[in-house]
Amino acid sequence: MHLQLAWRNIWRNPKRTAVIMTAIIIGVWSMIFLGALMRGISEGMVRNGISTLTGHIQVHHRGYRNDPVIENSMTDPEVVETALRETLPDGAQWTSRVRVNAVASNARHTAGVTFVGIDPAHEAGISFIGKAVTEGRYLRDDDKNGIVVGRALVDKFETGLGRKIIMMSQDTDREVASRAFRIVGIFKAEMQATEKQFVFVTKEAAQHMLKLKNGISEMSVILPDQKEVRHAADNVSAALPSADYEVQTWRELLPLITAILNIYDGFMYIWFVVVFIAMGFGIVNTTLMAVFERIREFGLFKSLGMKPMWIIREVLAESFFILLIGTTIGNILSFLSVFALSGNGIDLSALASGLEYAGMSRIIYPAIYSHDVIIANLVVFILGLLVSVYPAVKAARFTPVEALTHA
Amino acid sequence: MGEYTMAKKMMLFLWLVLFLYVPASGVYAQDGMALVEAGFDYMRGKTSISTVIMTIHRPDWQRTMTIKAWTKGQEDSIFRIIAPARDSGNGTLKRGREMWTYNPKINRVIKIPPSMMSQAWMGSDFSNNDLSKSESLINDYTHTIVGDETHEGKKVYVIKSMPKPEAPVVWGMQKLKIREDYIFLEQGFYDEDLQPVKIMTTLQIRQLGGRLFPVVWKMQKTDAEDEYTMLEYKELVFDTDFPDRLLTVASLKTSAR
Repeated sequence: MHLQLAWRNIWRNPKRTAVIMTAIIIGVWSMIFLGALMRGISEGMVRNGISTLTGHIQVHHRGYRNDPVIENSMTDPEVVETALRETLPDGAQWTSRVRVNAVASNARHTAGVTFVGIDPAHEAGISFIGKAVTEGRYLRDDDKNGIVVGRALVDKFETGLGRKIIMMSQDTDREVASRAFRIVGIFKAEMQATEKQFVFVTKEAAQHMLKLKNGISEMSVILPDQKEVRHAADNVSAALPSADYEVQTWRELLPLITAILNIYDGFMYIWFVVVFIAMGFGIVNTTLMAVFERIREFGLFKSLGMKPMWIIREVLAESFFILLIGTTIGNILSFLSVFALSGNGIDLSALASGLEYAGMSRIIYPAIYSHDVIIANLVVFILGLLVSVYPAVKAARFTPVEALTHA
Repeated sequence: MGEYTMAKKMMLFLWLVLFLYVPASGVYAQDGMALVEAGFDYMRGKTSISTVIMTIHRPDWQRTMTIKAWTKGQEDSIFRIIAPARDSGNGTLKRGREMWTYNPKINRVIKIPPSMMSQAWMGSDFSNNDLSKSESLINDYTHTIVGDETHEGKKVYVIKSMPKPEAPVVWGMQKLKIREDYIFLEQGFYDEDLQPVKIMTTLQIRQLGGRLFPVVWKMQKTDAEDEYTMLEYKELVFDTDFPDRLLTVASLKTSAR
């Protein structure tokens, strides 16, 4: 009976109910939608980080991570390949790279770059570079002097396809190794920093220039399922002599992104609470108003013999309906807005240079996580009912005599 | 009769083309390399010991230092700053393609890593690479004589030096002017569009170190009028023997000389 009473009561003043519902709708929408945006940003960062030559797991010679010099390369890649073949699940892909710091120069410009020797066919399935070449062409196995560089570097160097670029680095004899390459392809990346940092040649060309023989700097692995990363890394690690090799997952390889992910997690719950506090005051206020308006009514109920507990239940039921309708509409709206943006994402190219400091992508695709939605709804619902207890108790306390004194 | 002379003239012309013109250009091409090498040897000698004043000029400042230099052959050399006192003792050693610098203030010899090779040497318009790869002009280029001029009554060969296809050099072309007595008058550095980047010219050819030698060398970036580096030879001795240990890392540290 009190449910029917509550339902009718909330529509006695439709304007007021609409206002508080709007507050709840906006609150829920902002929690879920902004949550999805933040998840989208962090997913983008992880995706970016992994495809920018990180992969899910990497194997290095011990010490390479601390000091990425040529002396810390793996001289016998076969050992690593065998270990990967034996331990990784089906569908895992891997590729080997030579990766050293080098200096690129032409007649007018000089810049420090990361010089990466890749296996063109395998690399394509693993990192961004396979699909990133927008002008010219991607590397071929027989490219002795071909080099693929980023758009930003090309602009900085005032050069173009077919032009020469000289790479200098230290070879295994600790001498200056230099070699001329011709630009065969220009790639575009999510971030300008990537375009400026990496230049790609074939693995053989890099090995030859640096006198590495068969040596490689790193082995990068992509797993079919990202959740298996830790387990797979442990398996690979167990299969390799730990004195010579170290195996790391992307969480260890990208500590900054891992830290940001944790911060985002915490930040999101803080955001939920902040939104709720603002909303909570609205709920308390509106419910209190609704209660004070009806003092005589509650007095009448009391004198007719209604128990205080019933009155509390009646008032809480009013809040319950408002919250239920508000959250439902809020959820629908946020799903709709996420759905609307899922196709093209939010293009922040105009702000790209600023975003790069944070390692963010140019385009954000909102991502809805079920546990974020559940938590947002629970927070609004449970806390919403909780704060309504105060006006409800207030209503239950009116005595018939008190109510009579009210006009 | 008329036909006969006509045919004879034609033959003569063909002879000229075949035997004079074609071989002549061949000689020219070969001569290019020989000329550059001879010029290189002439300017450096078997060994040389010199004192040079280097002036670095910039729009809002200018600085001068005195350098003593020993060179041996085409590849090895050592430079030491002897004035001003503030910079005195700084030195650079070059052996083959490797370079080391020594700074007395920190008492350290530093091997110049690849990353610093393109940087300016002592803040001048010469890069470390210009020094360390000086012989690259001989090894990495093909030289063709493309013309001649006259300078102080002597013939000057204009040489176009194109880098060999796979040579690790940044320049798209170098243009040299070498006088018939092997004196370098000009060395121009061009990018791949064949636009000049920097040009070194020599001035005031005089008797120095027992031979005619340009006393002033000026390196100028083409896009900045007011920026140049000038070398002025004060003393120069050629072909005196000095011990090899002078060109070692250990000797870089001993600033006693």
